[in-house]
Amino acid sequence: MANKKAFGGLKGREIMVLGIIAIMAILFSILSPTFRTYPTLVSVLDNSYYITLMALGVTFPLITGGVDLSIGTGLVSYALIGGYLIVHQNVPVAVGILACIGIGLLIGLFNGALVALMDLPPFLATLCTCMITRGLGPALCGGFGVSWPSAIAEAGAFRKIFKFTTATGTVIPVGIISMIVLVIIMSFVLDHTRVGRYTIAIGSNKEATRLAGVNIKFYHVLAYVISGFFAGLAGVAYAATYATIYPGSGAGFELDAIGGAIVGGVSATGGVGTIFGSFLGVIVICLMKVGLPFIGLQANWQQIFTGIVLIAAVLIDVVKKKE
Amino acid sequence: MKKKVLAVLLSAAMVLSLAACGSNGGGGDDAASDSGTESSEGGNKGYSFQMIVKSFQSTYWQAAIQGVEQAKAELGVEVEANGPANESDIADQVQMLDDAIEKKPDGIALAACDTKSVVDSLSKALEAGIPVVCFDTGVDEAPEGSVLATVATDNVAAGAVAAENMFPVIEEKVKAATTDAKVRIGEVNQDATALNIQQRGQGFIDKMLELCTGAGKKVAVVGNEFYVNATEGKVDEKEAEVIIEVGVPAQTTVDLASTEAQKIMSKDDTIAIFGSNQTTAEGVITANQTLNKLSTDPEKGIIGAGFDAGTPQKEAITNGQFIGSVTQSPLMMGYEAIVTLTKVADGESVSDIPMDGYWYTKDTMEDDNIAPNLYD
Amino acid sequence: MGDIILTMKGIDKSFPGVHALDHVDLEVRKGEVLALMGENGAGKSTLMKVLTGIYKKDSGTITYEGKEIEFKNTREAQDAGIVIVHQELNMLGHLTVAQNLFIGREFKKGIRIDDRKMNEEAKKLFDRLNVDIDPTETMSHLTVGKQQMCEIAKAVSFDAKVIIFDEPSAALTESEIEEMFKIIRDLKKKDIAMVYISHRMDEIKVITDRVTVMRDGAYVGTLITEECTKEDIINMMVGRVIYEEPKTESAVPKDAPVVLKVEHLNAGRMVQDVSFELRKGEILGFSGLMGAGRTETARALFGADPKESGDIYVNGKKVTINNPQDAVNCGIGYLSEDRKRYGIVVQKTVAENTTMASMQDFMNGIFIDKKKETEIADKYVEALATKTPGVDQLVVNLSGGNQQKVVIAKWLTRNSDILIFDEPTRGIDVGAKNEIYKLMNKLVEEGKSIIMISSEMTEILRMSDRIVVMCEGKKTGELDISEAKQETIMNLATREIE
Repeated sequence: MANKKAFGGLKGREIMVLGIIAIMAILFSILSPTFRTYPTLVSVLDNSYYITLMALGVTFPLITGGVDLSIGTGLVSYALIGGYLIVHQNVPVAVGILACIGIGLLIGLFNGALVALMDLPPFLATLCTCMITRGLGPALCGGFGVSWPSAIAEAGAFRKIFKFTTATGTVIPVGIISMIVLVIIMSFVLDHTRVGRYTIAIGSNKEATRLAGVNIKFYHVLAYVISGFFAGLAGVAYAATYATIYPGSGAGFELDAIGGAIVGGVSATGGVGTIFGSFLGVIVICLMKVGLPFIGLQANWQQIFTGIVLIAAVLIDVVKKKE
Repeated sequence: MKKKVLAVLLSAAMVLSLAACGSNGGGGDDAASDSGTESSEGGNKGYSFQMIVKSFQSTYWQAAIQGVEQAKAELGVEVEANGPANESDIADQVQMLDDAIEKKPDGIALAACDTKSVVDSLSKALEAGIPVVCFDTGVDEAPEGSVLATVATDNVAAGAVAAENMFPVIEEKVKAATTDAKVRIGEVNQDATALNIQQRGQGFIDKMLELCTGAGKKVAVVGNEFYVNATEGKVDEKEAEVIIEVGVPAQTTVDLASTEAQKIMSKDDTIAIFGSNQTTAEGVITANQTLNKLSTDPEKGIIGAGFDAGTPQKEAITNGQFIGSVTQSPLMMGYEAIVTLTKVADGESVSDIPMDGYWYTKDTMEDDNIAPNLYD
Repeated sequence: MGDIILTMKGIDKSFPGVHALDHVDLEVRKGEVLALMGENGAGKSTLMKVLTGIYKKDSGTITYEGKEIEFKNTREAQDAGIVIVHQELNMLGHLTVAQNLFIGREFKKGIRIDDRKMNEEAKKLFDRLNVDIDPTETMSHLTVGKQQMCEIAKAVSFDAKVIIFDEPSAALTESEIEEMFKIIRDLKKKDIAMVYISHRMDEIKVITDRVTVMRDGAYVGTLITEECTKEDIINMMVGRVIYEEPKTESAVPKDAPVVLKVEHLNAGRMVQDVSFELRKGEILGFSGLMGAGRTETARALFGADPKESGDIYVNGKKVTINNPQDAVNCGIGYLSEDRKRYGIVVQKTVAENTTMASMQDFMNGIFIDKKKETEIADKYVEALATKTPGVDQLVVNLSGGNQQKVVIAKWLTRNSDILIFDEPTRGIDVGAKNEIYKLMNKLVEEGKSIIMISSEMTEILRMSDRIVVMCEGKKTGELDISEAKQETIMNLATREIE
């Protein structure tokens, strides 16, 4: 509730993004009849889980005026390590999942130490961590990819958190419920707890917050720990959807998440942003990811188009600031 | 002070990623320790070779490395393997190739990501007198004399094999197609830059077109421009009864491949789909998780076929999503690549070794000549 | 007035090269408003920073409520009841008023912050102070004046017993100042002691009980506001003996041509309808207190900042200056206040810096003519007696004074005839200062004209032929050096014109 709200408790920006989602959905549906089907909806959502989780987490460093570039290669490495443990070391799936999340947490802590305790610029620090995590997974797992258990396997039960297939074969994307629950929880954290409040304060005016006696080092580190934790969760989500983890991949995933957050209203300079906005922004990104191929846009044009949308989002941000 | 710390961290990061690159050649580290201690049966040649794989993306390369291990043990040679993270990291691979040439090995085994990008490096190898053997995929514009042999699946034939095995299953549907009620056959290729994928994808398209035309139907090819332009004998979409749609994702990742697959599979007139390597086959399988359209019965759903192996694909065949897939012999390819390099180092003359692609199904998966190639 | 609540005795504080506080005393009583006055650099802010724990004193004692104390940081001072309302507001623009007020000490219900309660408490606070502000408003949306009120309210909410106002009225409108005074009177009744740092004589006269004056880091004296005059205060502020010979008469003939004429220059609050002339061979001193608008005037004239209106004539011809490039092309050079930030390119050499503004003259096709560059740099190193091992030395390695000479060389290379020196000898030792003065005199002898902005009275009196005085964005006076005295200048520097 740090910023003015319009009707229904939604900020102006969020309403605008909802509008964009509606327009895009309608546009794609018109241009591609196969787009407006239930399976496509499920596909859009499916693609969104790991990106949503990344975005929920990275919103925190972004609001402090920083960034976490390590979440993309990170989530792949964490999933690689978790999968390796499951497939090659025969640990129970639950342990593999915990390992994936746990390592994400640790790397988040590492990032927090670099940025908040040692004062390194977040862009540089997390870029270095990105390079580290890119090699970390393959280094620990012998260099090859690994496939998490599939839906039919017994050990694949964890996938049901994200997708539930009924006896008749209908696919229910239950993952969206988990996402909504997480959005509600993290919104609460951002708006109504000291963790969230001080994260925004640090992004707004770090020195003033320090002078007010707040332990900014703690809360600043915490922002990155949250980001790492959600990167770990994203790794699990990715594994649940795509099964095979290819080592060394993931570079660029973070751009989807950060891009989504920015479209959703997070300011690149800090102090502004909502969880719900980031969530909506990710939906825009995923809509484009799935929709553009469907309307026949060939691969390279998809990327160009996505880039343009992101530039537009940042421009709106900059123009608003000048007012 | 802070600058120093940053410098130390950056160096540490670089060292770690280099270490990771080094051990990305999972076989690489072992090679160093193996050749010394292993008392080999075939001999102790003592050559040192460099190997550049396309990537460590799919477990396909794990099977190739296994073959390499076998050859190393038998012949008593050293092999250091390297490869980029992604099969689309063409620049990285060229760099690795150049680095390998610098190390002045007795020979280099190469699986090129992009046939055109490695041409310069091959010239360098030729000048330096380092023999090169290509495996898995050839380089058709290689400088004269730089590549002494290519150990690869005849990818054109392999792609055709898939078409040949798919056609009988969908024949009825094809014969029933008209210009108003067209049928669509999909193909997802992970890229349009690697020779093996190009040949394979094109092999499938050409054979399928031949078979459909033989059944009296006109065929159109739509989608990715490279494959569209390379196909001869096609007609306009309006006149065709059969459409072959080719999808190529922006990057060689499963999630992007699955979106391409989904795009094709969600169309009502699609009757079959082929994924031309492990990544795209997995893309088809992932897309099916949502669409649930694959079936081995053409009346009940889309016929699916894939290429290579990997756990998800093997499962798909076992539980009736795919009618079958084509496997290469990655193990033999890796093995033969090293054997060939050794022969070259010994001064023998060598020639290309084409390998076959084998169609396998639920029933033939366990066969002796197929099973070892079906890596996880 | 009540008992003494705070005493500072013999406070001494030095920074490298600067003796900022020289055995300063201060005494404040309950319920009183004590003005703390002095020129720029007198040490007022430094003294308050020592009090609230931002700086550590070298020696001296602070007694508060009968006990000797030394605060290690502002939080400790805050908790004890001593709070500063800063000049540059320390606020969190993205949060609401209430959230700002209670940052760090939020009301909680379990882990949930009780925003509702915070809003209520904030409203109560504002009612108590008779201030009309909505606690749910986003801080950055308020006017500066209202933001100031929030800062004051925040101080009060800490149960402050001593509140220090650092130049509080600088950004407020007339009516906002009135409201602030109402609050201050209210606080007086509550026995809260206040220190009021300001240079606005009229306000001092209205709201304060006593006036303590500092000068050059030392304590001068304390007067009772009712019983003293503005002149008394000014005398204490400037009453120093000047050792260097002030200039007694202008070196410029009365009929010297006007090289620069500025008419009705307007650029926001800090530059309001400023007009003046600069004659050939003249050093025109610009005097005034901090915040007077002198640098802003120079920057607007130079095109570094946008201006709303104003005509500029160079050598009688009207010119258009919309950016520094235009100004430089008219022959104007600007040596900025903050040398390191705006004057030199630290990682480059003496030679490179020298040619920085005239690169087009040192080109050989598309390449830079390094030989020519070195030649001209050598020439000026000699002419200005710049101490450097060579022209390939990085400027960052030179001393302040020599860096300044490189900046001067840059403008001379560009053949600028009109030079604006903004605080030319700030941060430079005495020996180098004199060299710069000699240099300036040489330059005007050769026919160049200089505008010299300075906050040092001695420097103004020593170097200027004429003096322009500014106060809060307006030009308050113009004097020939023959009629200029410290007191007159200070008078003009503290006058607010209606």
